[in-house]
Amino acid sequence: MTQVLEAMDAAGLKGPVLLDVPSTQFVKTSLLLIKGLSQDRGLPGLFVSVDRPHQYMVHLLSVQRVKTENLRFLDVISRFAADTKTASAKVGMADGPFHIDRLVSSFPALANNGSSEQNAGSKYRYVIIDNLASLLAFNNFSSVSIFIEALVHHSEENGGLLIPIILDSQKSAALYDAARAMCHEELRIRVVCEAAPAGSSPNTLGETKET
Amino acid sequence: MQEGRRDRQDLVRITSGIPGLDEMIEGGFPFPSVILVSGPAGTGKTTFALKYLCEGAKCGEQGLYFTTLSEPTQWMLRYASQFDFIDRDYFGDEIVYMDLGTMLREFDHAKLLEIMEAKIAEVVPQRIVIDPITVFGGMIKGDYRAFLFDLFNHLKNWNAATVVTGEVAPGEIYPPEVSYAVDGIVLLMLNEEEGARRKYLEVLKMRGTNHITGKQSIDITRREGITVLKARF
Repeated sequence: MTQVLEAMDAAGLKGPVLLDVPSTQFVKTSLLLIKGLSQDRGLPGLFVSVDRPHQYMVHLLSVQRVKTENLRFLDVISRFAADTKTASAKVGMADGPFHIDRLVSSFPALANNGSSEQNAGSKYRYVIIDNLASLLAFNNFSSVSIFIEALVHHSEENGGLLIPIILDSQKSAALYDAARAMCHEELRIRVVCEAAPAGSSPNTLGETKET
Repeated sequence: MQEGRRDRQDLVRITSGIPGLDEMIEGGFPFPSVILVSGPAGTGKTTFALKYLCEGAKCGEQGLYFTTLSEPTQWMLRYASQFDFIDRDYFGDEIVYMDLGTMLREFDHAKLLEIMEAKIAEVVPQRIVIDPITVFGGMIKGDYRAFLFDLFNHLKNWNAATVVTGEVAPGEIYPPEVSYAVDGIVLLMLNEEEGARRKYLEVLKMRGTNHITGKQSIDITRREGITVLKARF
């Protein structure tokens, strides 16, 4: 993961970056990215929860002692989750994971708790979506592909906002290929089965390759 | 045709680690999910659970083993070490062990859930085992069904695939209060046939999965743990 963050540093912490990550490691990857970007580099960020209510990431960050004063959450799924978990965070609530064609343009206001303040987008320097592939449960492929395109434009319109586009090339091959065509940079995080020796601590996501 | 295939996102699946089982369930357990492995004493529930965690550790997936039996790690490992697939070096790092036994008597369901979630957030596992879940039923203070509902819902939102084992009395096939809330049910059975006890595995339920039905013969060996001998694929 260190190599991934270093590659992002080398690119000036800007632009859409495609990250090829096994689906089972999405949460851990998001956790390590938030730690690296918000805590270690002091960047304000926006975390968009699609796959589970935002409270789980808030809780995870709290237990892992990752500082999140400069992190805002946008919860897209809570209204459909019937979940009672509570957590304290700066959060905006979206109507749901459908109609995502309007979601990106609402990031600045939603991240700002509904305020229509001008240039609210400048309040965050990176955006993480947890996770893009799960949008396919609520939208067709074309809509999700257009959503990724909108993310790329959002990055360009906001001075090269850093947007790690986290996908699993093996589980979501078509979406990965679509995203690949839109991103300049592609990084891979893969742990090879059978090759992880005992004591290698899987939480480090140590087998990192860049292409 | 191409567009139609693209429009449906296949479920992410992880290998069960049980030779022959993945082929019966389209490649593995859905991720995330909660799977009940149910059976009477001696059918291999704990062996199943340990193999599941060891297989994950081999693939770089973090494991978390909750036991409800108040059994110290040393005793669990002493018996488990008889299996060739157990790598004792996994325990402590790749597979973290937590005993909930004594807490079951002391805390209500909200507190227990809080303790378990704190451990999950600390370890960040992709694979979780609760062995056996049925002990909660007799000990937990409060509404057992409500606890199970909250627990299973939270486990999936932590983005892990969880195997819960369920002990049943002879003649029962699964604990009904658990079965309603899980995504999959794998039965382990002992049948007496012509004077011998034979072991079987059956996938009774696996959500989102076109699974092979019917009893399949299994064997339990030191080398592989549980192996499905006859899967109709």
